[in-house]
Amino acid sequence: MKNVFIMALLTFREALSKKIFLVFFLISTFVIILFALFTFSGSAVNFHASFTVRGNLNTDNPIVGGIKLFLIYPLYAGGMFLSIFSVVGFIPSLLEKGNIDLLLSKPISRGQIIWGKFLGGTAMVFANVFYAVFMLYLLIGFKFDEWGLSFILVAFTITLAFAAIYSVIILLGILWENSTFSLIVSYLIFFVFSPLLGSLQNMQEANLKNVVLTLLYYIVPQTSDISSITTKLVLGNYNFGIAPLVVSSLYIIILINISIYIFNKKDY
Amino acid sequence: MNIIEVENLTKIYKGPKANGEIKALDNFSLSVSKGEIFGLLGANGAGKTTLIKILLGIVHPTFGSAKIFGKDITDFSVRSKIGFLPESHKFPTYLTAEEVLYYFAELSGVEKNVIKQRAAKYLSLVRIEKWKKTKVKQFSKGMMQRLGLAQAMMNDPELIFLDEPTDGIDPLGRKEIRDILSELKEDGKTIFLNSHLLSEVEMISTTVGIMKTGKLLQYGKVEDLTTDKEVYIIETATPVNTGLLPSSFDNISIKVESPVKIIVNVKDSLELNFVIDHFRKNGVIIKNVSQKKETLEELFLSLVANTEGGEE
Repeated sequence: MKNVFIMALLTFREALSKKIFLVFFLISTFVIILFALFTFSGSAVNFHASFTVRGNLNTDNPIVGGIKLFLIYPLYAGGMFLSIFSVVGFIPSLLEKGNIDLLLSKPISRGQIIWGKFLGGTAMVFANVFYAVFMLYLLIGFKFDEWGLSFILVAFTITLAFAAIYSVIILLGILWENSTFSLIVSYLIFFVFSPLLGSLQNMQEANLKNVVLTLLYYIVPQTSDISSITTKLVLGNYNFGIAPLVVSSLYIIILINISIYIFNKKDY
Repeated sequence: MNIIEVENLTKIYKGPKANGEIKALDNFSLSVSKGEIFGLLGANGAGKTTLIKILLGIVHPTFGSAKIFGKDITDFSVRSKIGFLPESHKFPTYLTAEEVLYYFAELSGVEKNVIKQRAAKYLSLVRIEKWKKTKVKQFSKGMMQRLGLAQAMMNDPELIFLDEPTDGIDPLGRKEIRDILSELKEDGKTIFLNSHLLSEVEMISTTVGIMKTGKLLQYGKVEDLTTDKEVYIIETATPVNTGLLPSSFDNISIKVESPVKIIVNVKDSLELNFVIDHFRKNGVIIKNVSQKKETLEELFLSLVANTEGGEE
């Protein structure tokens, strides 16, 4: 466990050294400051009035719900975009000649290396997302006196969605050691395949089940389902099934273990 | 006591084509005793690096087995007693020299309270203490090599693998590294050295192995391998008259290198004394008799030169 922690810590440092996480942090800070200025300035009334949310809301104020969604969606999509871009090189750089030799010569198992990489990268993304979500939570809380904790939980669902994609990145990295390929596949999964398959899967429920689509739906990380849960949490709605969260967690464990199995078989 | 025991190790790398197999190690066996500086020599592609990588679990053997400290190499816990300096190593560029040592020491299981003092000691030993707070991305190759050596010693290992340790280091630096290795040997450490610098290996190794295409051609103490037991050099104080040379010594070949230096190839000491007696009887004053020595380079070239090696 100590070795996993050391590896995770180094991965965290590696992530910090990459400017992209700093960009993520600065953008979050910029959004927070901007929002604070709007929220606590006189012009805020008109700004707030422009947001309304239709549908089943548990939040007391639909305007607040709209504001939250307006803030969280770009954070989610933009954060994922930057995070994927940042971690995609972790495995190929780990496997570079001269680096991996040194690491494998230490009393650390290959499984510990992979788990360390996974946890370090995920921790970095969580820290960034939690910072943004928590600051927004405080601002919204102070302004509208809305302190529903469901908004905080969004940091966990966004991180889970990232972790699912990251597990794919790790597997692709171990298999092909190519950052560009992993980047393209990850973006395609997050921005195209997962939403598409999620929609098709929902449509199928009303019609005939297609085995291929169902299979693909379970092979590709269910980030679109996590997005739906995230939306509901933002709006204070706890009325959702936890199946996507459980399936995604299992998905991560399976993919990481497959990565470790392949990593164990390889020569460097 | 053997620290390293390798038995019938074979490594076959699969190429892209069905017949593209490369045998990097071929039924290779070897043992290294405690306290030795073992130098492994071989042309590029002989399989030296593959052997080290197998011993450290970086590469998996196709057949055969190997043990370090009596434990199978698949047991990664044994590596807490091992230090390794790979050829062309890379450290995380965002770390400083000191942080590199801290990080690898922690991974090797060194207690936190000793890491700091040990880092200071080894940074000073390899003469880069002035740059301990400098990020390693600014380091030259020589400095990286010195840092690599410090890193390999951080866990106070009993066994150190060094793959081309003096690569990129100037002659003065090489001398310093040789001195460090000698000190480590005096401390009872076992050193496994891969190098293509034959003179260097000869200077510091106690035992050497010479490899070619995955096989061990020669193995033994440097002294034994480089000494030609049957060939003696007789130096004389007075010039030897070639007419004095015996015309028919059975199985003894005698060659005059210069008027005061004769090389004789004998079967044993008795024959040698027989030759000496012959010269003395004829008034030749003998100044010195010594066994002929080959340099490691001469031995290596006679074994390996002009042959092709496989991929490493």
